[in-house]
Amino acid sequence: MRLLLVEDNRALAGLIVDGLTEAGFVVDAVPGVEPAKDAVSVADYDLLLLDLGLPDGDGIDLVRFVRRRGCGCPILILTARGGLDDRVNGLDSGADDYLVKPFEMRELAARCRTLLRRPGASLGTTLTVGNLAFDSIARETTVDDRPLRLSPKEMNLLECLMRRVGHVVAKPSLEGALYAQSAEVTGNALEAVVSRLRRRLAESGAKVTVHTAHGIGYILTPAQPIPTQGPRS
Amino acid sequence: MAAPRVRSLVFKLSLRLAGVGLVFLLVQLLAVVWMYVRNPNELDQLLLTAEAGRIAEEIPDLRQPGDPPIRDELAQALAPGTRRSFVVHDRAGWVLGQYQDGDLKIAPEAPMSFLVIRTQREIWGDRFLLSGTRRVTVDGQSYWITLAISGHGFEPFVPIIFNEIRFHVVFPLALLSVLFLLFNFSVVRSTLRPLARTITAIGEIDPARPSMRVEAPATTSEVQALIVAVNGMLARIEAAVQTVRDFAGNAAHELRTPLAVLTLGIDKLEPGPVQERLSAEVRAMRRLVDQMLDMAQADALAVDPASAVDLGTVARDVVADLTPLAIAEGRVLVFEDAGAPAIAGHAEALGRALRNLVDNALAHGPPGTAVTVTSGPGPVLTVRDQGPGIPKDQRQKVLERFVRLDRSGRGGAGLGFAIVRTIVAAHGGRVEIDDAPGGGALIRLVFDAGPGA
Repeated sequence: MRLLLVEDNRALAGLIVDGLTEAGFVVDAVPGVEPAKDAVSVADYDLLLLDLGLPDGDGIDLVRFVRRRGCGCPILILTARGGLDDRVNGLDSGADDYLVKPFEMRELAARCRTLLRRPGASLGTTLTVGNLAFDSIARETTVDDRPLRLSPKEMNLLECLMRRVGHVVAKPSLEGALYAQSAEVTGNALEAVVSRLRRRLAESGAKVTVHTAHGIGYILTPAQPIPTQGPRS
Repeated sequence: MAAPRVRSLVFKLSLRLAGVGLVFLLVQLLAVVWMYVRNPNELDQLLLTAEAGRIAEEIPDLRQPGDPPIRDELAQALAPGTRRSFVVHDRAGWVLGQYQDGDLKIAPEAPMSFLVIRTQREIWGDRFLLSGTRRVTVDGQSYWITLAISGHGFEPFVPIIFNEIRFHVVFPLALLSVLFLLFNFSVVRSTLRPLARTITAIGEIDPARPSMRVEAPATTSEVQALIVAVNGMLARIEAAVQTVRDFAGNAAHELRTPLAVLTLGIDKLEPGPVQERLSAEVRAMRRLVDQMLDMAQADALAVDPASAVDLGTVARDVVADLTPLAIAEGRVLVFEDAGAPAIAGHAEALGRALRNLVDNALAHGPPGTAVTVTSGPGPVLTVRDQGPGIPKDQRQKVLERFVRLDRSGRGGAGLGFAIVRTIVAAHGGRVEIDDAPGGGALIRLVFDAGPGA
């Protein structure tokens, strides 16, 4: 996985490159808009990490430049601008995610991994959370490499939760994944599937937990508290 | 000290113009009096004409057959202090009636011609003798009245002057003055109307939107000057607000990038008590910077009255975002949708306000307890926790800036509630703090019903 980091602060760029390299990514770093344009013109990157306030221009312009060239690679904005409208503006310009400085290395690495396995670019990859793995092509679930037998509904539910690990998945989208549109969904059908999935995960020794987000949906986390972005990001 | 009485400009201008009209009326009166005094011949003519007019009224009686006597009233002269004799002839030259006052005699001869109308004044010392002829028409027939009036001084003419002034000065001027006043009033009012419109336009400026400008048609340079002055002031206010916003943005960049370097640098240190302490310090500083910037942005928040934000969606998103944090802290976060309408608002800002409350509730409740976020019923967002609650006497205080009840908490500048209050106030709403049934704090953000309500 090759990443391009556009960041003008040399100390920060050095730390990010070190941290992401340690996490298994290949990272090129450039300090401004122009060198970044040159870089994306000569090489294909799987992910762009982009600072907005650059000495030779605005990072948003670079997002538009990349999108105009027809490149669909995910873009993660790393910025000090955490203003009320900044996130919306950043995402509207064509970026995929938005991380406000300062951030922790675990958080950045987790965001990068999430972006890299987004649907479209990521079908066919193996999803992994803790000792639980799910192969979305072979439709196989393993815990510590031991196969775990799940019903198709339980498997679909697990896939949805694993794709958004650490994030709440709303009930309507889970029900949509579990049932055909014509099928009648009773009030607690989803609850029944969740409860069965929880039991099977617990029996198999999977180090993950399916929490209830009361009033909204469900969220899958590793049994250890997941790294969070904190109350404000 | 009594407040000075405030009168409308229209009233003041009208009053002054009325005063000017009154002064002109007096000047005119004096001018007319002076003119008559300076011109006695005019008065002579008027006096003779007035006497002739009065005698003419009696002609129908005089024409009665049998030579009716002159009535006593008619024997009296019109002007005070004068004696008066007269002879009335008809067209054929017959004497219709006559009155001789003592030795003031008139020869009863018919005038030489129908056309004669004359006035003559003779003076002996301060005495005068007026004589003359007037032709009058009564019931379609012409008559001549020959008069002689004797008197002295100016006094006999006073009623004449008074009459003249009454009919030729006071009546027309009074009528004109009324018209003048009405005209003044309407002119003043229509002239000041652009000013009134401008004042209305200024009154409609929303203090929360300093980008607004007064857009009233400037028909006069004074009103235009007022509009320019107000717009100039608005531009300066907007610039000041912009400076605050720019400061927030600039400070964000200046502070957050070094904080990011620190955070990542501390991550690389050997795990241990030193790293943990530094890490906690940087987290506290990060919260502090976040809060101060949030506060600056909340102060400069502009709410678009045409926007529509669904409070239920805001609450749902905030709860979904904070659920991982709640799980990590061993807490339960619950969302209840009780049906909240859309309001005019800034979704991101409302989310931030709610986020601050939920964050605070998660920080202060004991482990294992629940925090419940409810949207509705009505334009209300509620956050209920099972923590210690907020003492009654502290409720107003926590909404102020830099106030922290619990200094052992997660750090921050004590701005969380102030940010909430400022954002809610920018939406025209209010923050209510109460005890939750069964213990804990119950905080309600109450908004005005929006267009969708």
